[in-house]
Amino acid sequence: MAALLQLTRVTKSFGAVRALKGVSFALEAGEVHALLGENGAGKSTLIKVITGAHQPDGGQLEIGGKSVAHLTPAKARALGIACIYQQPALFPDLSVAENIALRLEKTSPAHRVRWAPRHARARELLHRIGAEIDPAAEVRALSMPEQQLVEIACALGAGARIVIMDEPTASLTQKEQHLLFAVVRELRASGTGVIYISHRLEEIFALADRVTVLRDGESVGTNRVDEINEASLIKMMVGREVSSIYPPAQSAPGEIVLSLKNLGCHASGVHGITLDVRAGEIVGLAGLVGAGRTELARVLFALTPPDAGTISLRGQRVRISSPQSAVAHGLAYVPEDRRRHGVILEMPIAANMTMAIHDALFPGAWLRLGAERSLSLDFIRDLAIKTAGPYAPGSSLSGGNQQKVALARWLATKPRVLILDEPTQGVDVGAKAEIHKIIRALARDGLAVLMISSDLPEILGMSDRIAVMRGGAIASVFEGKADAHEVMAAALGQSAGKEAA
Amino acid sequence: MSQRIKSALLRHETILLAVLLAEWFYFDSVGRRFGSLDNTFDILRHSVEIGLLALVMTPIILTGGIDLSVGSLLGLCAILFGKMWRDAHMDPALAAVCTLGIGALAGGMNAALITGLRLPPLIVTLGTYSLFRGLAEAITRGVDTFTGFPQSFLNVGQERLGGLPTQVWLFAAVAVGVWLLVHRTTFGRSFRAIGFAPEGARYAGLPVERRLALAYVLAGVVAALAAIIYTARLGQAKADAGTGYELFAITAVVLGGTSIFGGTGSVHGTLLGVAAIGVLNNGLVHARQPREVAGLLTGALLLLALSSGALPKLLANFGTPRQSPNPPPTTR
Amino acid sequence: MGRYFRELSVAGALAVLLLVLAVMAPAFFEPQPLLSRLTREAPTLIVACGMALVIISRQIDISVGSLYGVCGVCAGLLAAAGWPLWALVPLSISLGGLLGAVNGALVAGLRLPSIVVTLATMVIAREGLRWQRQGAFVNLPDGLQWFGLSQRAGQFTLIGLALAILAALAWAMKNLSAGRFIHATGSDAEAARLAGIRPQFTTFAVFVFMGALTGLAALLNLVQSPQVDPKSGAGLELKAIAAAVVGGVAVSGGRGNLWGVFAGVLLLSCINPALTYLHVEAYWEKAIQGAIILLAVIADGIRTRRQTR
Repeated sequence: MAALLQLTRVTKSFGAVRALKGVSFALEAGEVHALLGENGAGKSTLIKVITGAHQPDGGQLEIGGKSVAHLTPAKARALGIACIYQQPALFPDLSVAENIALRLEKTSPAHRVRWAPRHARARELLHRIGAEIDPAAEVRALSMPEQQLVEIACALGAGARIVIMDEPTASLTQKEQHLLFAVVRELRASGTGVIYISHRLEEIFALADRVTVLRDGESVGTNRVDEINEASLIKMMVGREVSSIYPPAQSAPGEIVLSLKNLGCHASGVHGITLDVRAGEIVGLAGLVGAGRTELARVLFALTPPDAGTISLRGQRVRISSPQSAVAHGLAYVPEDRRRHGVILEMPIAANMTMAIHDALFPGAWLRLGAERSLSLDFIRDLAIKTAGPYAPGSSLSGGNQQKVALARWLATKPRVLILDEPTQGVDVGAKAEIHKIIRALARDGLAVLMISSDLPEILGMSDRIAVMRGGAIASVFEGKADAHEVMAAALGQSAGKEAA
Repeated sequence: MSQRIKSALLRHETILLAVLLAEWFYFDSVGRRFGSLDNTFDILRHSVEIGLLALVMTPIILTGGIDLSVGSLLGLCAILFGKMWRDAHMDPALAAVCTLGIGALAGGMNAALITGLRLPPLIVTLGTYSLFRGLAEAITRGVDTFTGFPQSFLNVGQERLGGLPTQVWLFAAVAVGVWLLVHRTTFGRSFRAIGFAPEGARYAGLPVERRLALAYVLAGVVAALAAIIYTARLGQAKADAGTGYELFAITAVVLGGTSIFGGTGSVHGTLLGVAAIGVLNNGLVHARQPREVAGLLTGALLLLALSSGALPKLLANFGTPRQSPNPPPTTR
Repeated sequence: MGRYFRELSVAGALAVLLLVLAVMAPAFFEPQPLLSRLTREAPTLIVACGMALVIISRQIDISVGSLYGVCGVCAGLLAAAGWPLWALVPLSISLGGLLGAVNGALVAGLRLPSIVVTLATMVIAREGLRWQRQGAFVNLPDGLQWFGLSQRAGQFTLIGLALAILAALAWAMKNLSAGRFIHATGSDAEAARLAGIRPQFTTFAVFVFMGALTGLAALLNLVQSPQVDPKSGAGLELKAIAAAVVGGVAVSGGRGNLWGVFAGVLLLSCINPALTYLHVEAYWEKAIQGAIILLAVIADGIRTRRQTR
């Protein structure tokens, strides 16, 4: 029997970045197939290829034994492919029943809405997945996991033959998780193929039939779950050698610059953070997506101000209430989403570079274009930014060079603490090595660096110490050099001892 | 890309300048008195109030916002000025200072609602548009008109100083101030950054709320100044002063090349836009066209300026409409 | 019932106001003046219903006052030229729809902000009308006023017609797919696109419908007097927006109930007579209207802030 879904050597590039370098993957009817891989291994790109959101550059895509070219989202839906994303695309102002109905019904505007059947169907679908949600409730009143369950009900109602679940349990409670597992098993029993993406190994062993590991845009291997153990899965995920191209640490760390005690912020789910960062030290902040790393950075920078614990800078307790006060205290934050937050794409790079030092560089708010020009030329030279000149807009630069501009903006503030959030995400190899060199040089000059990264080799290669976050708190801290397996295991919530056994 | 944006802006302003010159020569050929010095001063005098509103509308639109209340505020300030002078027996100078303070308060009210509660500027200023005009009508009971101001005050609006109409000096001062603010200070930078990417501006550590507040308060103060000049020019203050001026101001700004979506634009563009509207209004009178034609053409010009910005973008997207369609613009 | 909290609170405010009037100024409830006041509000109610649809779809239309004037004058001129009433109805509605289509094409087709587009069309229509008519009233032929009925019958017909349209629209917004598409588009245009609802088309259709309702409302205004005032629509857009916002239509789109808008229209229409009866000067009406808009959006702003915390 032909596989429900078959991908053969699928490739996809975005500019210079090769997201998929040749992925083969098969989904049978009535199986739960787990997809596992580090952040950036190519999972989301693969999903977008399957749902028709991206067109692959090469390779073959077969659905139900038939080769499909030019898959569009609409076509994918018609072929019975449904995807449950982490961020549900629902109408917040409409009821649950109506959200489900608008997805499933294809009606003309003059069609009379039958509310009773709508509610009945919603109730039935929600009942099937065991969700206790009132069909008449407005979606805006639901929690995120409840909204996800509504999405699942939509997929169920659409009679999807291929259901993709992208970390569906990331925000679910234990009870909701068990319900969800029952739903997945029921889908499997009815002959649906489920692609299940999760970082929680125990879930994969509890639920999946087969597991495929992705690494650096390639499928490393597919195994039956009962023929493999956790240790070998982790090994497949990390796999590669940590290359020695990372610049070495040289100096001994100095005094403690940033000291966090029990820091927390209820709204962003970060709690009990106790961590020191010393001058001249790079502390790597590892963890999975959703572990609370970016949230911690936002709390530190007072984009979402903390409501518990203390922050001390060089032994002085400080209160940081706004990004401006964070800057004034010598904190700098290079955000993760470069294109939305790191650089203002429409503005010249010189203006971008001086944006955080308006008060210092421009006394009395008066622009000194000459000083701005020479400062930006200095940075362009020092960071080797490839640009037509200081007045080229940010959008004209490549990703790596945009990142350097974002970095320059914050270096210009002469910070004491530099927080980097995924500093090399989506950056090509050459620029990545350059950025690593810059970061190391900064640390050598006495800067305290807190580096968030999902790139495990980067964490291992760059960090003097590694803190691993999980569920909004620090799960463990590795002093000195750590081993990839240990870090991955800590991020996944496996105790290192168990893994070593 | 920078060169392209810059040259596009330049092109826009050159086109506008050409339109302006064409207007001038056309009206000069049809109206006998049009090109005279007296008439030029007349155009200047009549353009000052709308010009002031357009100047301060520019930073607001640069931040991606809008202020519909400036015309109504002009009316309210005009009659409050009259009231303070006539009924509270204030010296016109003192009354003027108080009026500016009232303008600041009114602008501060817009600012507080927009930044404090994060309400959309559109609906907030629509509410104050109604409120300010309504207060003006209530205070004057719809009929009270303030006249008989001392000549020394009327000179501000009707006489010349150093060869130019007096109020032109005030206008020039505000124009230079706003130009410097937008093009030569960090405030202007912040306005643009907020207009392009409000979240990005926050991440850069810019005090977004304070900058937005500044733009709306400034609009309030300058609307009050416009009210004083208006009163001096006409020699009377009535509750309907400045009705519809918000449209002229917005039109001048958009005509001047400022994007209604925020970020790009210039104060000199706005000045050209004001000039184009001023010449059009005056010229049509000399061409013996009814007054209404001016309003009609202004509205049409606004639509044209808006569409000329949107059409190329739409055509560029036309090849791939399904990949990244923009949702329809929202009122927010 | 948290769901209809806003609608119920407006109805409550209305009830309180009526009660105060009943005690302080019982003359307010004399049947004949009351009937006349309600009749005058019938066109406003219809325009406010259309405005509610526009705001629910997350747009705004401030050109309705001008379009109302244009439709009224055009229909009046046709009537003066001898056209019968039954022919005026479709003509006025189509003219309104056509003008609304211009707004819709610019907003949905060119993706321009509705506030600026309708600001421009408002002025174009208003000045165009003033230019052509120079403020002159149109004298209507005999037999048109009150549909040729007695005044009392005509007033009841008008009120009945407006209420019927309100009820039909309220029903359709809840029970027809078209109504739900409008809610969906205003709630999240991107999600609407994913669900196969064409948000641009919906937006366009809403503007056309708004125009058509304006045309109808202008006609219902026309039959109330022997003349058409070309300025009759001045300020109507603000009244309609105020009624919609006060009636619980969220300016952020997606939410609103036409019965709430009905309560909003009644509440606002009571202000002016209430001021008179309570011996406050009527000049405060516009200021109070503005204050009410602000209060309504402030209340909604505080409520959504609390919800998101």
